[in-house]
Amino acid sequence: MVTKNKTGGFASKILGWRIWVQASFLVVWLDPLGLRMHTMCSPVFHCYACPLATFACPIGVIAQFGALHVFPFIAVGLLIAFGALFGTLICGWVCPFGFLQDLAAKVPTPKFDLPKFTGHFRYVVLIVTVLAVPYFFGEEHPLFVCRVCPAGALEAAVPTMAGQAMSGETIIWPSVVKLTILVLFLITIFFIRRPWCRLLCPLGAIFSLFNRVSAFFLRFDGDKCTHCERCHKLCEYGIEPEKTPNDLRCIRCLECTRCSPDALNLGNIFERSEAEDVLQENTL
Amino acid sequence: MVNKNTKILIFGLLVLLGAAMLAYGAFFHSTNVSPQLGDDSAAIAKSEPALIKEASIGGVTLDESGKIKQTYTGKAPEACAT
Repeated sequence: MVTKNKTGGFASKILGWRIWVQASFLVVWLDPLGLRMHTMCSPVFHCYACPLATFACPIGVIAQFGALHVFPFIAVGLLIAFGALFGTLICGWVCPFGFLQDLAAKVPTPKFDLPKFTGHFRYVVLIVTVLAVPYFFGEEHPLFVCRVCPAGALEAAVPTMAGQAMSGETIIWPSVVKLTILVLFLITIFFIRRPWCRLLCPLGAIFSLFNRVSAFFLRFDGDKCTHCERCHKLCEYGIEPEKTPNDLRCIRCLECTRCSPDALNLGNIFERSEAEDVLQENTL
Repeated sequence: MVNKNTKILIFGLLVLLGAAMLAYGAFFHSTNVSPQLGDDSAAIAKSEPALIKEASIGGVTLDESGKIKQTYTGKAPEACAT
């Protein structure tokens, strides 16, 4: 039997402040000091061509290095380390692109859900546009991830075009495909919660692979569960948390931990559960 | 379902692997980059952080012979061309 552990207790205290936690991380990603430390990757989805980007995008780096046939040790090592620690907690609490979608989801428009199988598209995007196309066809291929990425379109292309327009220079438009994806993205974020994260994000696809083994994870206590299925309603991403608490599609927003029997909590692998304490006492 | 001790072991191995790759990439890994114009004898070894910076502005490319070349001479572009 698991009581609210320290990690779970802390998470439940800040759960109502998730949007503010996400906003506070913008101070890290949006380069307020103009440092432009593009020699290092961040573990979030934020285009390095954005005028306000502190670090390099790990997906862009992996793709660019793939095109150069050079192994990206820094990007891959960073993603492995952060993935092993947090899994998709990064998606739910830290990523600025996810934050943008969460803000758009607050607009009171009708919301539609996505079929479960659509979560697999992310892995197709990862394998095709981030790994295969760059390696075999180079960065000039139209399906090279940076050439279709809506984060690049919104965070880099749009400000660049605005700057060109204001300074009277010739405006260089992104490709039709990139513009179309951007427009579709900007429409769907008001009608589907986190469409990019759930359908297409290659970085979320990587982090999701660590959900079952990460240091921080969703702990489910079957003894406390009353099968009320309240967690199904609390989850805005179509997951049944009591059945698959560390689902690959989960972004670990932790809304399901509002479950009143406290059957779902954020745990970490180093915390001892009450059951383990009882076992220890009985053994000694 | 992975038990707790196995999770700790897997976590430890992954973090070690990630940290080792980070350290290797940051301090030891380098790649030869040739200037846009000129022969291969002018190639210089660029560290991985420097190569990340170049890649983020579209400053390097792989040529037909499989060598990495800069895409610009003089002042570097300000942002990635994609």
